[in-house]
Amino acid sequence: MKAPYEYPFDPPSEDAVAMRDGAIEGRTAGSPDAYDAGESARWSPKAIADVHAMAQLGRYQLRGYNTFSRRMPSFDDLVFVPATMTRLPLEGYRESCETATVLGDRPGLVSEPLRLDIPIYIASMSFGALSANAKAALGYGASRVGTMTCTGEGGMLEDEREASTTLVYQMTPSRYMLDLEHLRMADAIELAVGQGAKPGTGGVLLGMKVSERVARMRSLPVGVDQRSTVRHPDFLGADDLQVKIEELREATGYRVPIFLKMGATRPRYDVAIAAKAGADVIVVDGAEGGTGASPELLLDHTGIPTVSAIRAAREALDECGMSGKVSLVAAGGIRSGTDAAKCLALGADAVMVGTAALMALGCNSPRYLADYETLGTSPGRCHHCHTGLCPVGITTQEPHLEERLDVPGAAERVARFLTAMTMEITLLAKSCGKSSVHNLEVEDLRALSLEASAFTGVRLAGIDRPFTW
Amino acid sequence: MSATDRANRIELQAADRPIREVNDEIRAALADGREVLVRDARSRHNLGVGLPSASRVRFEGSVGYYCGGLNDGAMIEIERNAGWGVGEAMARGEIVVGGYAGMAAGASMRGGLLHIRGDAGPRCGVAMKGGDIIVEGRIGYLSGFMAHAGRLIALGGAGEACADSLWGGEVWLAGPAESLGVDARIEEPGAEEVESVEALLASRGLGDSGRDWRKVVSEQRLWHFESRDAKAWLMI
Repeated sequence: MKAPYEYPFDPPSEDAVAMRDGAIEGRTAGSPDAYDAGESARWSPKAIADVHAMAQLGRYQLRGYNTFSRRMPSFDDLVFVPATMTRLPLEGYRESCETATVLGDRPGLVSEPLRLDIPIYIASMSFGALSANAKAALGYGASRVGTMTCTGEGGMLEDEREASTTLVYQMTPSRYMLDLEHLRMADAIELAVGQGAKPGTGGVLLGMKVSERVARMRSLPVGVDQRSTVRHPDFLGADDLQVKIEELREATGYRVPIFLKMGATRPRYDVAIAAKAGADVIVVDGAEGGTGASPELLLDHTGIPTVSAIRAAREALDECGMSGKVSLVAAGGIRSGTDAAKCLALGADAVMVGTAALMALGCNSPRYLADYETLGTSPGRCHHCHTGLCPVGITTQEPHLEERLDVPGAAERVARFLTAMTMEITLLAKSCGKSSVHNLEVEDLRALSLEASAFTGVRLAGIDRPFTW
Repeated sequence: MSATDRANRIELQAADRPIREVNDEIRAALADGREVLVRDARSRHNLGVGLPSASRVRFEGSVGYYCGGLNDGAMIEIERNAGWGVGEAMARGEIVVGGYAGMAAGASMRGGLLHIRGDAGPRCGVAMKGGDIIVEGRIGYLSGFMAHAGRLIALGGAGEACADSLWGGEVWLAGPAESLGVDARIEEPGAEEVESVEALLASRGLGDSGRDWRKVVSEQRLWHFESRDAKAWLMI
């Protein structure tokens, strides 16, 4: 039998046990870093700050820009698988690739469908949310490359109608400055029943941006915090919508396409219903879509990601036999031609860019640094569209800020950006062996994550099957 | 109607014909400087949408949704009842409904006159931005909801939540309201204002100096977010 172990030391003093690792005096042992960083996944510094803000302000936060949620899957979770042995690529630097895009081609219902030179156009953003200079610059830039803009909800601005050779006239539930002449001057009409940034809730324009001109166009008192209605005043469900669409056709002589814009929530059903109600073009705006102002919680916690909405929307149109009759536009967080090409491959006929177009105008560009600082932010991080104090003159109604946006220069940047985006799309399309960007298909994509595959039905890289249960 | 008027009048049927055809005929006749009588309107939707000024159309029977919608100056008469959104987004002109009007009569209208001889359904004058609506009967719940400007005049009173969330504009009641909506308050009308409303009514053959008017206007509490410091919205 072994003798009991005899420990050779007397108990040391507590002082001798202490590691002298720089721990705060009086604090029990442990990793100072871990405690300093905070280890609760639930109570992150942001969660704590949110409670502090609500406790002091007694309301939710409100801001512009787009969602900060990191849970959104990204277009970067998809890659193209260009032609190799099973398919033949086109010469990326030499051969041509069709980019012309037709929307709303419904013989008998639309005598003048929209014919765009590229599959990209400028998203609906109102005069009010944007300055008149910004609207004009977007219009001239879009016209220069053969595409179009959309009025947004603030009525038709003369500057934009003049700048945009092709213009979609948006009718939101608020019907600000809804005018028959404007309807008839439009190249298409869009009924908006929601937007990706805040589906199910109306628009917001804080008083700082309700200038005299904005107020006049919207029949509002100057300086009020405009919070728009979300339900249309004169139709409720899909059956009424059908009658409404017919009314708009009657008012415009069956000339122009009728768009229906929705936030992406249940696209499989919503898109089928919109198609049944008679829309010629359906715009599905994903949760990453930008906005001039919104309760922040809606940006982060409502709607589904663009990438997941497109497949569902296309399948809905396929299922009800409306593909080829009703056009599908995707929007929400599209940053580049690469993103746009992925949207086309997933099933969109065209894409709409809002925030990206503002970036091209100069949003978040490193100028007027002192003004960014006044807003408590810096170039690259600014999300203060709601304040109307945009340092670069885009989301403002202040004359001294607006004049910082030089229209010809900004329009040129928009035109170049759209051109570059289109080059990106055609480069990818040609590598996949497509002579038209509209021939891009789901088969050209692979998913890099289970999540992206599950959301889109795109085959997983390697295993080459969609993730299914 | 005189013999000359009759000679200048075209009659057509709505019945079950394609509405596009009916409206095209109405527009063609109006462009020709003729008046139009549409027989057997049969509650069809979208009759007489977006009609031009200096034109006259009468619908016999009842009409469906959006009759006279986007009216740009036409004088439209509806013999009996109208469905939803009669005169919606009217900019100018005049629409008379001989009977009752359904939901959202005069929705988002910007000008002109909408005269309803019977009652009006809910959300009459919703989002209206100008012009006048006269309802000889009663207006339904949420009438005047989020109106911006204009006058909604109801001789028979109003249902629940009258003038809810008004931005501006006025709801004039010569009868009781079941309840007022959010941010609405009753204001004592000035003598001149009453005179103006009575003059309008008198011009429609509805003169009566004995009415007890309540004028409902915005309390303007919803004009701004309820924030202790509005500037606090700026920093996030």
